[in-house]
Amino acid sequence: MVFRRFLRSVVAMSDLTPQDARAIIEDQIETLRKRNREPEWVTKLRYKGLKAFFEAPHTDPVIKDPLDYIAKSEENPMPEIKSLDDLPEEMRSLLDRLGIAEVEKKYIAGLAVQSDTSIVLNDFMKAWRDKGLIMVSMEEAVREFPAMKDKFMHLFNPYESKLAAYHTAVWNGGVFLHVKSGLKVPVPMHLFFLIQDSAMAQAPHIIIDAEPKSEIHLIEGCTSPVLVHHSLHLDMTEAYIGEGAKVKLSVLQNWPEYVHTRPMTRAIVGKNAEFLNTTVGLGTGKSNIANPKYHVHRGGYAELNGIILGKRDFYIDLGGEINLLEEGARGINASKSVIMDSSKVITRGIIRAKAPKTKGHISCDALILNPQAKMETYPGLISEVDDAELSHEAAIGKIREEELFYLMSRGLKEEEATQLIVKGFVDPLLKDIPMEFVIEIRKIIEMTLSGSF
Amino acid sequence: MNALLSVRNLRVYVEDKEIIRGIDLNVGKGEFHVIMGPNGSGKSTLALAIMGHPRYRVEGDLIYMGEDIKELEVDSRARRGIFLAFQHPEEVEGVRIIDYLRLVLEKVRGVPREKSYDMVVDKAKEVNLTEDDLRRYINVGFSGGERKRLEILQALLLEPSLIILDEPDSGVDVDSLSLISAKLREMNDQGRAILLITHYGRILQHIDPERVKVHILKDGKIALSGGEELVKRIERDGFQKVFEECGCHE
Repeated sequence: MVFRRFLRSVVAMSDLTPQDARAIIEDQIETLRKRNREPEWVTKLRYKGLKAFFEAPHTDPVIKDPLDYIAKSEENPMPEIKSLDDLPEEMRSLLDRLGIAEVEKKYIAGLAVQSDTSIVLNDFMKAWRDKGLIMVSMEEAVREFPAMKDKFMHLFNPYESKLAAYHTAVWNGGVFLHVKSGLKVPVPMHLFFLIQDSAMAQAPHIIIDAEPKSEIHLIEGCTSPVLVHHSLHLDMTEAYIGEGAKVKLSVLQNWPEYVHTRPMTRAIVGKNAEFLNTTVGLGTGKSNIANPKYHVHRGGYAELNGIILGKRDFYIDLGGEINLLEEGARGINASKSVIMDSSKVITRGIIRAKAPKTKGHISCDALILNPQAKMETYPGLISEVDDAELSHEAAIGKIREEELFYLMSRGLKEEEATQLIVKGFVDPLLKDIPMEFVIEIRKIIEMTLSGSF
Repeated sequence: MNALLSVRNLRVYVEDKEIIRGIDLNVGKGEFHVIMGPNGSGKSTLALAIMGHPRYRVEGDLIYMGEDIKELEVDSRARRGIFLAFQHPEEVEGVRIIDYLRLVLEKVRGVPREKSYDMVVDKAKEVNLTEDDLRRYINVGFSGGERKRLEILQALLLEPSLIILDEPDSGVDVDSLSLISAKLREMNDQGRAILLITHYGRILQHIDPERVKVHILKDGKIALSGGEELVKRIERDGFQKVFEECGCHE
């Protein structure tokens, strides 16, 4: 308790010296080390992150001082909950609202809810584990699977940035998803993150390890059910997609306005493998800066889709690098942004062709609904060979008057017609999202657009 | 004076250009009016001005069911029972026809969602649109005939009192043309007034000639009015000759 109060007052003052910061982070590392009973290599890596934190560059345009978001360790992880009925009422009704409970009832293939720093629900069919599907908390994974050492933090370097370093030092929670060679999981797995405490960083680490010819679809939902302030979500995802494997990763973000999110994603897409990553940012939070990097091998395919709903004064900056390393590799980076109020959205897709007979396409569409809203797009096509097909297209505009008139001529009000057009605008990118979520996404778009006419 | 639509000295401007230069027109309940005229005579402008397109500035009286609708937004006019089948129906990317029509039925006509699906599918069959067609995006990749049949489907579902059709026969194959003509007759038989803009008499193949009132537009005014025989004269002689014969040239 003493520790907690001390930390709160420090954060409120926001004038930490580097020595204070080092002490606090060290304290956190030690708490996590003990709580998780983690192997030595993990703790070593945390200290490497701590060292990097003071040396790595910091270029974030919004978060001036990462110390303001220092994570607080929980004294006791929340108890393991075996079924949805064991969840606190508040969380259960939230899941209901998101349609998750229904989804879960239907499939029960896998559902893990992460609240703050610990997984509180881990409920999936035993049968799948016997077939070779592993989905465990990252804490358990580093403890139980020594082979993790060759995967964990292999696609990132803590010296890349202060935030990457900070994540390395204090990562907490997340999952390890392992799909055995040849195993095809026919229903999506769900993972939900909920921030419940204020002034803390949630830094889950996710590893997707899909062995050759396996197939899996992971749906990550992010939300925050209670009012927390100045929260930072620093998730890191490492995806290893083996030869001929197919992985879909759908991320649904519905953060409230005071959460800053810095998702970090790296993927190795193996020979003839497929990685389809769609992020739906319905509530992107106060600021959202991402720069995923994919490396695609011979005949592989990577798709990076983003749907962004910019509102209020949110700042959203979506990078995305696809490196086509070997012959026949292909990549698509497509985004659709709906930009309202005085929000600002920047997209900077990069596709780099490093081998012949590769193909890449960047498309960026934006609907601007307010004169104060801003959109910038910087497509980057880099060809290091003379036999690559790279292209891009961008369309930024307002809703067309004729389209609106057409729908309103049937009696729809301006608000109803606009909602329809906006839902239609994003629809083509929702092709990989299960219907239950598409319905929920449409509802959120309607809610966001209502009352502004 | 129990006209459904009563237009008095209507003038319509685009920016400062006067397109409709004083039109008087009465359309009674269940009547069938045909508007013809050379290109640029103001036919489409008249249709869009009655519907309430924001690009047009309108002067004069536009009375519908006893109420001046000149200041009303397009959606309010639609809710009062005016329908426009567009000459060039818009493409709306990403919006499936079935979702759109069910929303319109729910919001405009108060049809419960559990009833609207079957209602749309049943009516669609009448204009040769399949369930698969209904899952496509509005008008995206549609042929001329499909677009015009989708316009008719919307009229069938909305059950308006006044149906304005802007060249429902342009870009349409023979079978679609016959179907549209039959549907116009059916809706007219139900007591709905029709205001049909066309260049060709073939769209009238299923319509009782006795019912038809024809108006010829020239330079934003009605140059002459008459019965169905006017259509035949124009098809035979062309607008120029008809205008010369009636002394309609200014």
